[in-house]
Amino acid sequence: MNLTYYRLELRRLRRDYVTMFFTAGLPAFLYVIFGASPDYGDEPVRDGNVAMWIMIAMAGYGAVTATSGIGSMAAVERMQGWGRQLGLTPLSDVGYVRVKAATAITIAAIPIVLVYTIGAFTGAEAPRSVWIVSAAVLLVGATTFALYGLSFGLAFRSEAAGSAASGSLVVLSFLGNIFVPVSGWQLTLAKFTPLYGYVSLARRALTGGGTIDTDTGDLIEVPLWQPLANVVAWTAILAVAAVVLVARGRARQ
Amino acid sequence: METCIRLRGLTKHYDSGSTPTRAVDGIDLDVGPGEIVALLGPNGAGKTTTLDVVLGFTEATSGVVEVFGGPPREAVAAGRVSAVLQTGGLLRDLTVGETVELVASTYPATDPIPKILDRTGLTGLVDRQVQSCSGGEQQRLRFALALLADPDLLLLDEPTAGMDVEARRSFWAAMEDEADRGRTIVFATHYLQEAEDFARRTVLLAGGRIVADGPTDEVRRRASGRTVRARIGTDRIDRVADALRHLPSVVHLTTETDRLVVETSDSDDIARRLLGELGGSELEIEAASLETAFVNLTTRTPSVVGAS
Repeated sequence: MNLTYYRLELRRLRRDYVTMFFTAGLPAFLYVIFGASPDYGDEPVRDGNVAMWIMIAMAGYGAVTATSGIGSMAAVERMQGWGRQLGLTPLSDVGYVRVKAATAITIAAIPIVLVYTIGAFTGAEAPRSVWIVSAAVLLVGATTFALYGLSFGLAFRSEAAGSAASGSLVVLSFLGNIFVPVSGWQLTLAKFTPLYGYVSLARRALTGGGTIDTDTGDLIEVPLWQPLANVVAWTAILAVAAVVLVARGRARQ
Repeated sequence: METCIRLRGLTKHYDSGSTPTRAVDGIDLDVGPGEIVALLGPNGAGKTTTLDVVLGFTEATSGVVEVFGGPPREAVAAGRVSAVLQTGGLLRDLTVGETVELVASTYPATDPIPKILDRTGLTGLVDRQVQSCSGGEQQRLRFALALLADPDLLLLDEPTAGMDVEARRSFWAAMEDEADRGRTIVFATHYLQEAEDFARRTVLLAGGRIVADGPTDEVRRRASGRTVRARIGTDRIDRVADALRHLPSVVHLTTETDRLVVETSDSDDIARRLLGELGGSELEIEAASLETAFVNLTTRTPSVVGAS
């Protein structure tokens, strides 16, 4: 991989304080408000507690905001002529994607590490293996949402793409059982939204497959194939959308 | 010696909407080492498309495209050809120095960076963000990026668009130095003066075709010859005009009270007649500027050009 390019990408992101705040600061803040402070945070969930359940969600939200931001930025900067500039160099498309993927993983790690660290000091509880497995799933799964941002960037063709992508992730977080637990028909709906599978799989380490029933506080069992199918389907949909939009962009030139 | 660019029967059509656009409609072109060639033509003549094909950014619809005897992308990847592109192309939040560092990192080896910064006048701007640079400074940065791999062939697409007079002058001065180093340079422009000042060879494009190709001064001469002006008494001017109008060398003739203006491919003959039997005075002969050649060639049919 081109390490110079990777290092410069990270430096660019470090300069972008506003985006950094929304990527890392906002999820941390949301966790403190909704996970660490309320009394229900101490309620048990299997071997852990509700604070842990919320912490995983907030870290995941930050991670996908980060990767979708990288994706939309890549799409927009390529369309604004940077792709042509790179086209004058020996750097291949694969080489470019490798740099962006490495950047996305690195940036996704920031909200995860930050939120998990705060969680560790503010009452999120679970066996050590749950911490490790959930963080790993969040990190790997977040890469899919680079495609989400990429599609927005290719469709909107301007800096507004980044705001549109991250704004829609907030809505999808509410719909997808991430910010607040849902049950009944809302849970059925949630299972079809893109963030549901991703966060459910990360939480599975804690819950063993259940989700919190908002009426009784008990766990509702969800079979493993459901979040898995959700992740596979949405990854495929986003990949196809990106490919179609890339082709459309090329035809226009 | 190795041919830098070889195009045979190049066409490029775009399917936009109902009617396909023929951006390039059959171009044959050879550019040899050390040449400095202007691709001159109005917007939509096919200049940018031709350069895009030579860089491998777009596939030709049909025809042969060879850059240093091989496919364009190979020549680009080998660093043998580079370009200064028309617009965009830079990351605004990087500094000048970072941009150079980034692009340099994609090559296995480059010329020493401080030397290139010095040659392009960027040494003092290294820590400035690209978005704070003027149009001319950004263009110098693109120029520096193009020089990193020490390419044999340099393509420039409207390189001075948006520059002020001073920036334009220093840009071409820097380009002269590169030409003196033996670099082959092909530039697209619609600034006619630039072709006249800088290119030893001019390829005139219109409607996706080459309408003239040769030494810049010859293209100009062949295209529209000279303009002869004379004063003729108002009582005789119509008769004189009629006498000249039917001559085969006369391309265009106008009269205004006592002034006669003749565009001709044989100015000597017209001048002799005007000063002799036709009784003209205050004779002026002027070589057409490339501007005139340009207007003539691109607004008339190619057959007129061939006949003159």
